[in-house]
Amino acid sequence: MVRKKGLSLLALVLVLSLVLAACGGKNNESGSEGSNSGTNGGSEAPVELVWYTIGTPPRDLQKVNDEINKITAEKINATVKIKMLDWGEYSQKMQIAIASGENFDIAFTSSWANDYFGNAKKNAFLAIDDLLKSHGQGIVAALHPDFLEGTKVNGHNYGIPANKELPQQRVFRFNKTFVDKYNLDISGVKTLQDLEPILKTFKENEPTIAPIPAKIAEFFHVDMPINDIPIIGMPLDTTDYKLINVWETDEAKAYLETMHRYYQAGYLPKDVATQKDAGDYFKTGQWLVDVADSQPLADNLWSADAGYEVVSVPMQDPISFNWSVAGSMQAISINSEHPEKAMEFLNLLYTDADLMNLLDFGIQDVHYTKTGDNTKDIIPDSGYGFPAFTAGNLMLTYLNSNDAPDKWEQFQKFNDSATAAPLLGFQVDTSKITSELASLKNTKDAVYDALFSGTVDPAVQLPKAIEKFKENGLDKVMAEIQSQIDAWVASK
Amino acid sequence: MKALYQFAKNVSRNKAFLLMVLPGALWLLIFAYLPMPGAIIAFKEYRFGKGGFLASILESKWVGFKNFEFLFTAQDAFIITRNTVLYNLVFIVLGLICSVSMAIILHELTNKKLSKLYQTGMFMPYFLSWVIVGFFAYSFLSIDKGVLNQVVQYFGMEPISWYSEPKYWPYILVFLNLWKGIGYSSVIYLASIAGIDKSYYEAAMIDGANKWQQVTRITLPLLQPMMIILTILAIGGIFRADFGLFYQIPRESGILFPVTNVIDTYVYRALKVVGDFGISTATGLYQSVVGLILVLTANGIVKKINRDQALF
Repeated sequence: MVRKKGLSLLALVLVLSLVLAACGGKNNESGSEGSNSGTNGGSEAPVELVWYTIGTPPRDLQKVNDEINKITAEKINATVKIKMLDWGEYSQKMQIAIASGENFDIAFTSSWANDYFGNAKKNAFLAIDDLLKSHGQGIVAALHPDFLEGTKVNGHNYGIPANKELPQQRVFRFNKTFVDKYNLDISGVKTLQDLEPILKTFKENEPTIAPIPAKIAEFFHVDMPINDIPIIGMPLDTTDYKLINVWETDEAKAYLETMHRYYQAGYLPKDVATQKDAGDYFKTGQWLVDVADSQPLADNLWSADAGYEVVSVPMQDPISFNWSVAGSMQAISINSEHPEKAMEFLNLLYTDADLMNLLDFGIQDVHYTKTGDNTKDIIPDSGYGFPAFTAGNLMLTYLNSNDAPDKWEQFQKFNDSATAAPLLGFQVDTSKITSELASLKNTKDAVYDALFSGTVDPAVQLPKAIEKFKENGLDKVMAEIQSQIDAWVASK
Repeated sequence: MKALYQFAKNVSRNKAFLLMVLPGALWLLIFAYLPMPGAIIAFKEYRFGKGGFLASILESKWVGFKNFEFLFTAQDAFIITRNTVLYNLVFIVLGLICSVSMAIILHELTNKKLSKLYQTGMFMPYFLSWVIVGFFAYSFLSIDKGVLNQVVQYFGMEPISWYSEPKYWPYILVFLNLWKGIGYSSVIYLASIAGIDKSYYEAAMIDGANKWQQVTRITLPLLQPMMIILTILAIGGIFRADFGLFYQIPRESGILFPVTNVIDTYVYRALKVVGDFGISTATGLYQSVVGLILVLTANGIVKKINRDQALF
């Protein structure tokens, strides 16, 4: 008995010491921070900004970081500490950094990694409307207005999109090797149905290859308030802003029937619905057509990546959706100690060509060589690489020697040609419909892949799927989103 | 003063044991007890705020039991709860039978070298991640390249599209779970068999007991306390499904959801779109509370039958 008491006492001591240690650490930290910001205010000592961004950390990151600091120290009296996290781990690590309230200043965020809209709704980022006006004029001037309009959450901006392609343009991509070999006419293709004669010819000549090698993304003429629940949509040509059930439209029905016919004809791999790692076909060249989202001169990029020629034909005119506009952004943390400096730094990324070239390509003659006024060649394996599309104003940067000289003009034109989707700038407030959304997402996961890969017969399964959505609260969710949209339209 | 002296004496006398307990105790404190107050997030609408994690928790709005609602209002609530509980029951029962018999067989093997070899072989799958096991399974079950379908076709039958036939999946999942877990649990039983006094067996042999009688009259009764402890503990986790098993192995095939969707995968899929800390915490808390009640009940029943064998 005595022994037991001793043990529990020891446990208590351990707990207490742990708590004390934790508190002590915290006190120290906040103490030093306090004194830090104190001196900043007085003598204008340079501020260090912590910047988390996505990409494989290159070997010479620190060297380039030092060069960047020379520029920033001179121009805005601040230095940055660039912390790159690899593609696969970025979202997860940032979630921890945000949840634990780490004092970073700037972070990469987007619709596909470190979810921008979710974080903004949960106050992870600072609303920057005023900062943009006071310290970010260069950003506002450089960006197409739809960029900032489309990334508003509850009427506020929480992040700054990189200046690159703005709209979505979905295209059919073709393996040119086969197109030439069998003399296929792809010029008239616009919809899935148009592919039929091409697929037929191909299959007759290459019976062992599935011409459509993987799941392909569909394009319907709708905008979606929630991308993960693709059954709810707003027609692109809407005038009254009334939501529709996308899967009940003739467009969707015809698409699914065609898909099922293709699947049965062997145009898709048998296990396409459960395929997880379908990327290999691009390397092996064993494919004819797939679907991708395009940007100006994308065919060149794809061809370079594949090692053979890839060509594409558009399925639609460029349209700016919320997700495409939020494809790549930088946001300021709610816990940033120096939001003004952070904004000044971001502003430099949109106005200072030297800084941008340094960040994207490294140090001249070490990591790249200049080949003209505005062109450069990367020195292979020189130890630096940065995913340029993730930050800043791409249109300030040097072109590759073999790029079209008017590349950035083409981007500008592409962006200007885009029409805004009806729900651009609208974000659903999910707080009242959380349970229903949870069920709907599970319903979608249960039926989507099988239907949209053509694996199951839509004549039988589509009505069942729609019924299941309705059982799980589709109508309630649609009514709630509709009322939010009505309020949003009224406030515009 | 006297108590303190007594305490110091106790510590110094048991310092070796205390030192051995220390890593485990620290682990438990840091990863199990320290985060426990965080369970209040289940009753809040969590929002980030200035001043870090604790401040954010305090500043978030109270919402009562709202975060628990979706677990009960969802249409699929019945299916996922049923799947979770039934699968776990089968895992517990079959796991117990298989690992105890495996432990006894391994123990009775006269060739100790072979016995060690089997033991290691059975232990290996335990260290594999479900992601890897998922690919193993896929190489067997793939519709056109899978080993099983090659065999099926060899015998002139139609290939089966495994990933869209729910009826096979309860068996596949149970088999894989046993295959992966048995090595580990049988080692625990093997260890307690090794602890059984050899003289019992010698006495039994002198009395003319054969192997089977030795197993049923000596080994099994002496293993009973261990079996009861492990089963009670397993019952505590009956509302908590093995996420990797149910998420990775069926390759997210939607057609299989009626037999593969469990509480954990359901919540994961739901949160990918809602992204709500409150709901995930609520789910965890719900699973823990139900688990606690079940452990207490199971222990109570054991206590009623035989006081000595109850866990506490």
